[in-house]
Amino acid sequence: MGAGNLNPILKKIAKAAYNLGDHNDPLNAVLAIAIFKGINRPLFTMMDKESDPKTKRYAAFREGLTEVVAASTYIITNKTLVKPISKYLEKKTGGSLGKITHGIEFLGVCLSAVFLIPLACNLLLNPIMKGVSKLTHKKEQETKGLDIKENVVPTLSKPIVQHLPATNVPKGPNSLVVVLQNKYAANNGGNMKVGA
Amino acid sequence: MITNTFVHLISKNGFQNLIQNTTAQVSIETGLKAVGRPAFTLADTHVDKETRKYSAFKELLYQLLCLGIYLAVIPVTFKKGGFAVFKKLCNKVSQHPEFLKSITKTDKLQGIEKCSIDIFKNEKALVAIHKMSHLSAAKRQDKANDLAQKLLKTIEENTNWELVKKEYGSKEKFMENMLNKERESRFFRQFFIGKGGIEMSSIVGSVVGLTILAPELSHLILHPIMKALNLEASHKANSETKPQKINKQA
Repeated sequence: MGAGNLNPILKKIAKAAYNLGDHNDPLNAVLAIAIFKGINRPLFTMMDKESDPKTKRYAAFREGLTEVVAASTYIITNKTLVKPISKYLEKKTGGSLGKITHGIEFLGVCLSAVFLIPLACNLLLNPIMKGVSKLTHKKEQETKGLDIKENVVPTLSKPIVQHLPATNVPKGPNSLVVVLQNKYAANNGGNMKVGA
Repeated sequence: MITNTFVHLISKNGFQNLIQNTTAQVSIETGLKAVGRPAFTLADTHVDKETRKYSAFKELLYQLLCLGIYLAVIPVTFKKGGFAVFKKLCNKVSQHPEFLKSITKTDKLQGIEKCSIDIFKNEKALVAIHKMSHLSAAKRQDKANDLAQKLLKTIEENTNWELVKKEYGSKEKFMENMLNKERESRFFRQFFIGKGGIEMSSIVGSVVGLTILAPELSHLILHPIMKALNLEASHKANSETKPQKINKQA
């Protein structure tokens, strides 16, 4: 290990580690978990080959959204509540601001995990999911509308008989199909090639 | 009165040490999730009672399994691994005192010039010395203080004293620094990168454990447990008889 130049990535890691060693904010760990859960869980759900694609998409979107709500709640709680509460408590009790701040940061994460996130999920997820499914349903209907073939007269290149299910065609020497086939064969001198 | 008691409790050294530990943070958060999410599922009146019970129990079991798997595998592995990796990184960074000074200098504090953690045999001693720094000098020297005595014993057993002699001149000099210096002193701050490295590694471990390993493993265990408790079958029968809206809260 020579004393040459230090790799810039190592420099960044060393700086981040120094800050973490000085103060390990609980927000770092819970936020990292929420972000990676928000990526990994939908990914795993989409990779499940046994589920129906529509259900998979719905579940993956919901899982992703849950973690977005969780991460946002952690950040909002940390950034809005910690500073004013810590300062208020420091003024009122004369305690150490550093220790109070660390304590409130941790309690903020706890409050989010046990109460605020489930509450936010209950309040936000259902309306969002309903809105999204309405939107996707509307879009599906619109795209389906473009495919409607009603009132369109197709140019027939082949006889319609070919599209009829064979089981429904009456058979026998006097059936319409056999009579027409015999007539057609007689007119063309029996030169028709099957499957040509 | 209540405010004073509250501030006193959250300022206690034991609590401060606990909340600076990533494993404790993640475990407590997961434990609270295991309580909060099922409680909210049970309180959701839009869904019928049986489905609520089923979903809440499944969520509780899932979170508890995640916590168990996490605690069994991740902290030990990643703390040890983090210590080994950051021992090398600290040695490298120690050869660049100017860089170290630049990142550790503040308006009030002088920058540190070295950050080697070679003197520690394992992560236990490093964590113990960090906890020691949170105690006041008077508490560290107090022979009746149980926490201080326990930490001193851990440091004694897990430190390479030969290397300490080379680095600090003598064991006594090192002990004198540890018992008297302030937390903001250069003596304690030289170990911040090592301690931060362990926490960083624990965060990586928590992410791997709780977002990849635990969900996969717990899904393998979850269904057999639900079946064994006869919850899976009764839920299936229930959902077949009447169509239900399942609360899929993750």
